[in-house]
Amino acid sequence: MLLWTAAIGVLVLLAFFIGYIVYLGAGAISWHFLTAPPNEAKAGGGIGPEIYNSFYILILTLVFTTPIALAGGIFLQEYARPGPFTTAVQFCAESLSTIPSIVLGLFGMILFVNVLGWKFTALGGALTLTILNLPALMRMTQEALTVVPESYREASMALGATKWQTIRRVVLPSAIASLTTGIVLISGRILGETAALIFTAGTSVSVGRSAYDLSPFHTAETLSVHLWYTHSESLIPDAAKVGNGSALVLLAMVLIFNLSARFIGRALSKRFTAA
Amino acid sequence: MIKLQVEDLDVFYGPFQAIKNASLDVPQNRVTALIGPSGCGKSTFIRALNRMHDLQPDVKVDGRVILDGEDIYAPGVDPVAIRHRIGMVFQRPNPFPKSIFENVVYGLRIHGENRRSTLMEIAERSLRHAALWDEVKDRLEKSALVLSGGQQQRLCIARCLAVDPDVLLMDEPASALDPIATSKIEDLISELQKDYTVVIVTHSMQQAARISDFTAFFLMGELIEHAPTRTIFTNPRDKRTEDYITGRYG
Repeated sequence: MLLWTAAIGVLVLLAFFIGYIVYLGAGAISWHFLTAPPNEAKAGGGIGPEIYNSFYILILTLVFTTPIALAGGIFLQEYARPGPFTTAVQFCAESLSTIPSIVLGLFGMILFVNVLGWKFTALGGALTLTILNLPALMRMTQEALTVVPESYREASMALGATKWQTIRRVVLPSAIASLTTGIVLISGRILGETAALIFTAGTSVSVGRSAYDLSPFHTAETLSVHLWYTHSESLIPDAAKVGNGSALVLLAMVLIFNLSARFIGRALSKRFTAA
Repeated sequence: MIKLQVEDLDVFYGPFQAIKNASLDVPQNRVTALIGPSGCGKSTFIRALNRMHDLQPDVKVDGRVILDGEDIYAPGVDPVAIRHRIGMVFQRPNPFPKSIFENVVYGLRIHGENRRSTLMEIAERSLRHAALWDEVKDRLEKSALVLSGGQQQRLCIARCLAVDPDVLLMDEPASALDPIATSKIEDLISELQKDYTVVIVTHSMQQAARISDFTAFFLMGELIEHAPTRTIFTNPRDKRTEDYITGRYG
């Protein structure tokens, strides 16, 4: 009974949040708002480049994070023998995952913006987010591999497969659904991450060049940073409206991304396991 | 003719010695049954015969296991190649979460065979050999996990046969199955000994008596007695063997 109440309470709270964001933001949404560049001084700016930057940084971060996290998780779970080295790696990863994102943001600023002299760039932002999310995705990879029954590995090895063949042909395909879920969860965090990006990717869209710059060295304000910026720093008269609209678009983006990734995960899982 | 020769085998789990100085000759094209009470080491013994213990970090194996004159524990021997020649069927059916077809041809694919016609031909032959073909021929692309336990176990046997091993190891292959499925597996084993050398662990003395030509009796990590099955059951040499088969313990 208590659990039911708690579950319903969470649902009601969530519904209220979503409803409120939709209520406030719906009025701001228009084709112009979704595609136009932001305006620094006057009303009527849009969020087109911010949406572009959000996905640009998301994809760049995933390109860095996924292979490293998968490799690390596979190594720790399947190859590393228990011992001081493994414990040390685990401990470091866990420590890394507890660092607040603002601290990593400042670290990223010192390293990428100042020492390397890149200024505010999408690349610096993506690398900072990589450091931020690597431990979590590595952990999730390990969890996903733990769930794969030992009997699959035994069966494969007993048929004369090498360890790597076993991992590639049996273990990873069986874990593909949980791996996809892990990547989706991480993606949601990347899309919503703000603090670490303010100091690394900047609070403005590409200055002096195309707002849809393909180079990773462009200043890249994301939608969530824009949301923070308009509400706290901005000079534009319609800041509240732009902020509310941005919040709704961000919410929709995360939702659509999650649903489609889940769908793809299930399709992949079906393909690999004939389930 | 002796196919597999085990000499002075010791197996340790950490400090615990699970197998003590066991020696056994396994004749070719015969079924050798390993019997004994739970915890006597018979499963540990059979897993030493295709180096499955290599997969656990804290297990140590001493002694020699000689397959066709070659010690599989000699330095430089590749355990992967050994497992290719000595197949294993486990206690619980463990098909991969793949289609029936992909399960059977798994061993072929990992050895680089990808021609559809070859795979199909070997899959059919292996499934027929495992007496499963007629039950699955119309649904080879369906998931193996929808099969019954007995069918899954015959699929696992077919999967082993597809890589054409010399020796088949079976670790209580029928213990998780119902009586009808069990009798199918037993019929299959009798059929298989024409082409393969079979070593089977069983906790059922009746099963050992029904299907095996030779029986080895294990007790507390020791191989107590090894003889033709008829001799073991009618005229055992050792008092402990007699006590076990007459049901005094175990």
